[in-house]
Amino acid sequence: MEPIIEIKNITKEFKVLNRREGLKGSIRDLFSRDYKIVRAVDNISMSIEQGEIVGYLGPNGAGKSTTIKMMTGVLEPSSGEILVSGNVPYRNRTKNAQEIGVVFGQRTQLWWALPLIESFRILKDIYQIPDADYDEMLKLYQSLVDIEPLLHKPVRQMSLGQRTLSDILAAFLHNPKIVFLDEPTIGLDVSMKAKIRTLIHALNQQKHTTVILTTHDMGDVDALCQRIVIIDKGKMLYDNDISHLKQFFGSYRTLKVRIKGDLKQYADEITEKLPQCSVSADDEWISILVDESKTTVMQVLGELQHHYKIRDMQLEEISTEEVIKKIYEEGVK
Amino acid sequence: MKLKKYMTLTRAGIIEALQFRMSFLIMCAGNLLYLIVTYFLWKAIYASVDTDVVNGMTFTDTLIYLVLATALYGFMEMYLVWDIGRNIQSGKIVLDLLKPMPYRRYLFWSYTGSFVTQFFLTFLPTFIIVAFWTHGAIPLGINLVWFAVSVVFAVMINFSIDFIVGTICLYTESIWGINIMKQVVVLLLSGATVPLAFFPDKLRTIVNFLPFQSIYNAPLSLLLNAHPTAETVCTTLGIQLFWAAAMTLISVAFWNRSVRQITVNGG
Repeated sequence: MEPIIEIKNITKEFKVLNRREGLKGSIRDLFSRDYKIVRAVDNISMSIEQGEIVGYLGPNGAGKSTTIKMMTGVLEPSSGEILVSGNVPYRNRTKNAQEIGVVFGQRTQLWWALPLIESFRILKDIYQIPDADYDEMLKLYQSLVDIEPLLHKPVRQMSLGQRTLSDILAAFLHNPKIVFLDEPTIGLDVSMKAKIRTLIHALNQQKHTTVILTTHDMGDVDALCQRIVIIDKGKMLYDNDISHLKQFFGSYRTLKVRIKGDLKQYADEITEKLPQCSVSADDEWISILVDESKTTVMQVLGELQHHYKIRDMQLEEISTEEVIKKIYEEGVK
Repeated sequence: MKLKKYMTLTRAGIIEALQFRMSFLIMCAGNLLYLIVTYFLWKAIYASVDTDVVNGMTFTDTLIYLVLATALYGFMEMYLVWDIGRNIQSGKIVLDLLKPMPYRRYLFWSYTGSFVTQFFLTFLPTFIIVAFWTHGAIPLGINLVWFAVSVVFAVMINFSIDFIVGTICLYTESIWGINIMKQVVVLLLSGATVPLAFFPDKLRTIVNFLPFQSIYNAPLSLLLNAHPTAETVCTTLGIQLFWAAAMTLISVAFWNRSVRQITVNGG
């Protein structure tokens, strides 16, 4: 089968003015020609099939949004090739727009002052959705979430969760081949997150829509994605199944202990004592990531008991979140 | 071109404009205040000279002209620069760029709703009141048709100028100063604040070669002229048509060039 998105060695460079500090510097900047080249995306290739849900991950500033903007056609790559559903997106932005849907978590494309149903009607006309398809889609929406009360509510009166949900529905409305979701669950409560994940999953299943999802919430990834792509500093670190990733890091386990006193300080001490483990502390627990190919959890526990009075402990298999944290920190060898 | 795709934006604009009753009332009050100030200002100007007619216009002529100019301003002014600038700063412009139609067209049709609403809510009432008040000082005949055509051209020229200035925001990333400058230049040189008849000869000659006078001066002079010669009508509309076409082409070309610049160098 032809891939729906085909990216070959794309690179994106930005020209940024070297800013100077202070008033004098700011004035000199007005006439400055001192540019530096920033490479936001560096030689990335991937190919995505129709119907996949791909988790696109990376720390802030990794180049995720830049890649998405290139796929939607808002940015033109500095070099490399991009094909989205047979179109070169930046050359044919308007045509490409017909094939894709987008949700940017922080912004809304809905008509602020109008009830949701009016936004849907406008989108129906500007995407030229046939009546039958539109009705069918609304019926599908109704079966997935209770949209009836939302439909007649002006968007500006919605809660963030309701608005995000509405934005996702709006993005799928013209039954696009691909939907880009840029941090769709940012700032939402747990139940709304769950609702939105179920919705995205159902729409992907029913309509066979390809979904590209960027997020910092590993819950989204675990619930939705079979495949993840990780980038950092513009370079691709990982592109494979999520299960493969876990297996890759399968020998890691997290030991959590509770000790009376200042946990942060203990964490620093333990780091010194156990250099082969990565240690972090929050308000309740000290978490110690143990690589069982080097040392065992029992050994670590014994060592700790020797020095401290442990009040409580937990053992966790490694979560995707920690795997990814580890990749951000060290990369895949 | 499938009209329904665009007319739906007009419809949305009308509904949207009607949502904000308070803002409509406040705008009417603001216009009223402006008219009162204008009345006393020009009364003082006419009182300071001995003749009744200044630069070929009586006090009533001037006042009718300015009241109608204000009413016209009420529906042609569209804060486009402000909107584009804000969308660039907030990044919402990305969502508008991803609509399945060209950005300029999307914006234009989004504004048509407010043109229609404002025409019926501000221009028409003002026009009727002035027509009654002055007992037929506004001629009601074929000039209304010329006026209507002229207003359509005026809207197109005004939109293009705003769009060009809005595009400049892509480079400057600041809105306020540019917007104020545009407003002052357009309102003065178009004859919206002072009738062109009051301009010094040299300035008037220059203004005649600029697109701005086609926005306010042209439709108002067609409206207030009871028996224009065919030549006057043709020249006025011809010049407007020329500017409408020229400014549309310039704004489209400038936008396409700029948006490419942005997509190449990042925004």
